[in-house]
Amino acid sequence: MKALCWNGVNDLRVERVPDPRLINPHDVIIKVKLSSVCGSDLHLIGGHVPTMQPGDIIGHEFLGEVVEKGSEVLKLNRGDRVITVSIIGCGKCWYCQHEEYSLCDNSNPDPHYEEMAYGHGTAGIFGYSHAFGGYAGSHAEYIRVPFADNNCFRVPEAVSDEQAVFVSDAAPTGYMAADMGNVKAGDIVAVWGCGGVGQMAIRSAYLMGAERVVGIDRYPDRLQAAQMKAKAEPLDYTRVDVYESLMSITGGRGPDVCIDAVGMEADGADTGVGYWYDKAKQMAGLESDRPAVLRQMIQCCRKGGTVSIVGVYGGVVDKFPMGAAMNKALTLRMGQQHGQRYAPKLFDHIGKGELDPSYLLTHKWSLDDGPRGYRIFKEKIDNCMRVVFAP
Amino acid sequence: MTIETLARQVVDAPVRALRRSDLGAEPHDDVAGPAERWAAIMGGTALGLAGLRRGDWIGMTLVALSGGLLFAGATGLPMARRVRELEASHAVRLVPALEGEPASVQANITIYAPREKVFRFWRNFGNLPKLMGHLDVVEIESATRSCWKARGPGGVVVRWHAEIDKEQENELISWHTLEDADLPHRGQVRLHEAPGGRGTEVRLTLVYRPPGGQAGRAVARLFGSAPGQQAREALRKLKYLLEVGELPTIEGQPHGRSGIMKVTP
Repeated sequence: MKALCWNGVNDLRVERVPDPRLINPHDVIIKVKLSSVCGSDLHLIGGHVPTMQPGDIIGHEFLGEVVEKGSEVLKLNRGDRVITVSIIGCGKCWYCQHEEYSLCDNSNPDPHYEEMAYGHGTAGIFGYSHAFGGYAGSHAEYIRVPFADNNCFRVPEAVSDEQAVFVSDAAPTGYMAADMGNVKAGDIVAVWGCGGVGQMAIRSAYLMGAERVVGIDRYPDRLQAAQMKAKAEPLDYTRVDVYESLMSITGGRGPDVCIDAVGMEADGADTGVGYWYDKAKQMAGLESDRPAVLRQMIQCCRKGGTVSIVGVYGGVVDKFPMGAAMNKALTLRMGQQHGQRYAPKLFDHIGKGELDPSYLLTHKWSLDDGPRGYRIFKEKIDNCMRVVFAP
Repeated sequence: MTIETLARQVVDAPVRALRRSDLGAEPHDDVAGPAERWAAIMGGTALGLAGLRRGDWIGMTLVALSGGLLFAGATGLPMARRVRELEASHAVRLVPALEGEPASVQANITIYAPREKVFRFWRNFGNLPKLMGHLDVVEIESATRSCWKARGPGGVVVRWHAEIDKEQENELISWHTLEDADLPHRGQVRLHEAPGGRGTEVRLTLVYRPPGGQAGRAVARLFGSAPGQQAREALRKLKYLLEVGELPTIEGQPHGRSGIMKVTP
């Protein structure tokens, strides 16, 4: 089959690889119909995640059809149109039983890297480096899904492929950001980053009753989408001072909930010395992640408010404003998404017309154009929000 | 030393790590030991302070360098790995040896399953090859006696007998090797009910007296270069099998041409 393989830093190639086969009894094989790029892939491609191996197939946000199933798969059948949550839960461990699927004890076959770096292993993730299990990703014609009963969700008739594919990752990640922020009626929410996840976080905050939601970015097309599609108040951080603007929007209180939908490669919420300080340290290997968004969120968040982090971090950050966070009594919440918890609810919202993630798809391309797709996504050329590959 | 007192040794771990006899039992050879990490952290702090005091460009370079050392110290980067390798090969000896003292490894895991289920699985020693890669087969000879066969270095079949000396239903299984063992050792599995309905806490302790010289090294290799890692691996497999009934793996999945397939442990 065709697959998009990582061969080194910024070296993606479409290659012919063997078809996947069932390995364990809880596996299914999915024929991929749509597979989306994701901002977190850029960390892998750019070499910020050290456990990639040449030949790894990337991609983790996908929709397809079940074509083969293992002997112990009970809930799925051949021909089912399903999405698969990008983060794999076994469904049986204590964490999965408590709906904290991204903390699954059993889905990462090789948790040593994480145990060394983080103290404990977490769930396996498709196409997301060997620290997260090394599972082959979805930018391919077929993909093997382990623990399929727990990770695949049948797409309701009323939901289109283009809407459903983002229930794999972007939609539940954004939804979880608002959920961790405990957004409720009357809240003002600020969302850093208006890519796919940020857009979904904005919509989710409104679904939970937010009064106003501010979307922060610097790309005009993304700010426009945040405004027109997600109904956020756009804020271009290259034109205005973020702190001053948020204070003026919130009567000087600061947002009740601040959401980080950017992560470790923040390219300059802090455009001055701070950015170059972090960039230099990151390049020298003295700091793995650039925490510009974190610093700004803690500064802006109202006293006693919540900082909710779904943008991905991998290692250590520097100059973390602990004093501000502590003295303002902030709640910090974070984590990789527990998509299995949210998928049915999200399909429900989409079915009722309350949420429509399909506008995230700006480019639908063949997998043959994989490397070019990632380039326009990375460089935000041609108003690209998400390239989705149809193998 | 009894196996019970070893359970208390966890608190002494940093001290033990400095002893020659325990170095082989360190779980990760590619992670810096406590001494190395403290050296990096303290060196980093001193360098950073000196740099700040200078206040010029050279000073700032020192500050940056200190950050690297602090990072190495905090994360356990193996900066002194070469030194440790030399020491391990007896080319240099930094820490005085304490020959003959038993080495021990311990691993802990919580399994979301009732104690009876965990006990039943382990009590049948015939299951142990599913948990320990170096074991080929364990044959049950009587209620307490078993014969263990393993692949030693170079594919040589190694065989020994073990006897269960203590057994408390759903709580404890303790065994030791009999006279024919090349690597005499004792093992114990202790089960506790985890609080809050979290399942069963499993503690595996292995104690063995590493024999010296060539033979010792060969036998040690039987247990793998990192016995602590092996003990943890065994408990992890136990958890996989009891919780989901399969071992997660990526062995046999497709990858690109330049891919080198990693073998999962």
